Amino acid sequence: MTARVVKVKRHEKLGWLERLYVPMIVKGLWVTSRYFFKNLGGYLRGNPQTFVVQWPEEQVDYPDAFRGMPVLVQLDNGQPRCVACGLCEFACPTDCISIVPGELEGAGIERYPEAFDIDMSRCMFCGLCEEACPEEAIVMSRNVEVAAFDRATMVFDKDALMVPEPLLKRRLEFLRGEYDREHAPVAKARD
Amino acid sequence: MDDHGSGVLRQLLEMAPHSVVDTHARLGDATAVVAPEALVDVMRGLRDAEGLEFDMLTDVTAVDHLGREPRFDMVYHLYSTIRNHRLRIKAGVPEAPGEIDTLVEVWPSANWMEREVWDMYGIRFRGHPDLRRLLLYDEFEGHPLRKDYPKERRQPLVGPRN
Amino acid sequence: MASEPHLLTERTRDTAEDDLERDLHTEHQVLNMGPSHPATHGTVKFLIELDGESIVDLDIQVGYLHRGFEKECESGSWYQAIPYTDRLNYNSAILCNIGYCMAVEKLLELETPIRCQWIRVMAGELSRLGDHLTRCGAACLELQAMTPFLYAIEARELTWDLQEMLCGARVTSNMVRIGGVKHDVPPAFPPAAREFIPKIRKLLGDFDDVVTQNRIFIDRLRGTGVISKEDCIRYAVTGPVLRSTGVPLDLRKDEPYLVYDQVDFDVPVGEVGDNYDRYLVCVEEMHQSLRIVEQCLDKLDQMGPGPVNVDDPRVRWPAKGRVFNQMEELIQQFKAVTEGPIVPEGEAYCAVESANGELGFYLVSDGGAVPYKVRCRPPSLINLQPLPLMVRGAMLPDLIPSFDFINMIGGECDR
Repeated sequence: MTARVVKVKRHEKLGWLERLYVPMIVKGLWVTSRYFFKNLGGYLRGNPQTFVVQWPEEQVDYPDAFRGMPVLVQLDNGQPRCVACGLCEFACPTDCISIVPGELEGAGIERYPEAFDIDMSRCMFCGLCEEACPEEAIVMSRNVEVAAFDRATMVFDKDALMVPEPLLKRRLEFLRGEYDREHAPVAKARD
Repeated sequence: MDDHGSGVLRQLLEMAPHSVVDTHARLGDATAVVAPEALVDVMRGLRDAEGLEFDMLTDVTAVDHLGREPRFDMVYHLYSTIRNHRLRIKAGVPEAPGEIDTLVEVWPSANWMEREVWDMYGIRFRGHPDLRRLLLYDEFEGHPLRKDYPKERRQPLVGPRN
Repeated sequence: MASEPHLLTERTRDTAEDDLERDLHTEHQVLNMGPSHPATHGTVKFLIELDGESIVDLDIQVGYLHRGFEKECESGSWYQAIPYTDRLNYNSAILCNIGYCMAVEKLLELETPIRCQWIRVMAGELSRLGDHLTRCGAACLELQAMTPFLYAIEARELTWDLQEMLCGARVTSNMVRIGGVKHDVPPAFPPAAREFIPKIRKLLGDFDDVVTQNRIFIDRLRGTGVISKEDCIRYAVTGPVLRSTGVPLDLRKDEPYLVYDQVDFDVPVGEVGDNYDRYLVCVEEMHQSLRIVEQCLDKLDQMGPGPVNVDDPRVRWPAKGRVFNQMEELIQQFKAVTEGPIVPEGEAYCAVESANGELGFYLVSDGGAVPYKVRCRPPSLINLQPLPLMVRGAMLPDLIPSFDFINMIGGECDR
């Protein structure tokens, strides 16, 4: 299997008919009207074939791998799963996460985030926080509609970030599919 | 000087034995450090010599080794479209006067890349036809890719932080 | 971005012509075009010296999208630069990811698993397809042809849908990691890709029907923006612009990286080096990219599931299943995230064939967890440099297709 070099075919010599624009007008009209009648037929049958989605009235279904804004997983008891270890803070390239850890007496979990803020105006949805998290506590949701009128409202606090676990099921299932994939042993390129 | 098993380095050493200061071929990249005075002659030789024929100056950049003498390294990456081989040439540039000869006469592609190096590192190119800033604006103070340029520094013509 | 328009050249005239010109009051005029002009896709300013409608000289001022990519990389960990490389060439983000990660892997002397390499090739070709579609579609739009633009953008949407399925984002994919890829191909991807590829082919066919033999289009492209083979090489031009002059330089063929030596594809070259050749080369490369994607799909199917990351906890974070259950891996995860990979001292230059040409990354490490120097060799910037050569003496409208087929991407050009 190799790469071959081919020369492109130039349409060098135009015939007299082509110089009168005639064949291309006919061809162009044929292509465009084919689309027109296909779309018209679709509308008449109640099954439009148009490509454009009329957002936000119509929504598209994002694929499983889709990364929206990062959110905190909320457990059934209303608390975040986060243990305030700070790995997402370290991994974040834009420093948009800030965590204030707190200690909890008695309960099974000892550490919890007293404050957990994400500055969505800096976040670039790269997903490194989710990859770094050792607790499945911060995941990328399917929400991308986070526009606001000023920068102060773009800082999301803990309550705004928490999403109940059942609502994040699709993302969590996608992530869990990758959990048990073994890594390949290291091979050195050169000795 | 060792050619580290690289044919390109061997030919370079045969061609200009006294101009080459150091060589290495780590990670498969043939590299030669050249005395800055002889840079243009060596480069012209590399372009024209039979068997080398580096007709393309792929990349020009600099590295700031703050605290080392000479402070800057000019780094040139050469490629030969005829022979399909590569070579990296480095030349030291001291902080003062911070000048090196231009390569625009040898390869015109050096023009913009040297302007970028002047812009980012403040290295002047002797004989450059049009040494203006390339990416930044004229009123910009300092040269941002120098290691002693603080990342947080504000510039004139840039609005206040909000 | 200098503000000094020192273009007006001194002219020596014959006296007879001098008298005539004095009577006619002809003088050269400097026209500012850009930085935000509807007929250029890319933020760039041209200072054009015009004699009537012919271009006498041209000064290109770039840098409007400069955001300090190289400085920013020097302040974070090695892996934290990967999302920034998405923003270099935002039309083909995955190719920039691949270039950066391969350069770091070269410094680490690391070889990625075979399945990961096939995934990278497939994702990279999808991305190249999207880039060429943007280039050809936007060029048509700027030549006042709205319909083919819509077909090209529809096809690009399909490639972006596929990228979204594969990586999780349409444009800023952030797919490739040092020593692997983020995740394996999701199960929904291969059937969708097999469904979309014929659709993309059909849209390319419609695009071709409307444009390629159209006399207006040919008149605008043929013989404009001509550059010779020698000038291209002297100016270090690479990619489709160089191939349109007949030089079959393609790093996928000349320095095969990843698994490009195992895939079957053609390298199209032109002969004249004008815009028409550049257009034809791009169209042919799109068909070749689709062929490569199909081969990768077949190969990945045939290979079956397997590892896509190297098992080196300092470089690639351990598999999550182990992190949750084993203390050892949890500690490794903490170390890997907080410190990042420790890259041995050295320097490496790694070049990949991006959609615009040779995209190189020159990295210097001082043996620490933070890059000492990250240099991106941007093909857009370097290909833009000989634009004055292409358009000098041509008419002002010829500047538009010449600039379009160079395909300067602001994010990559200005970094």
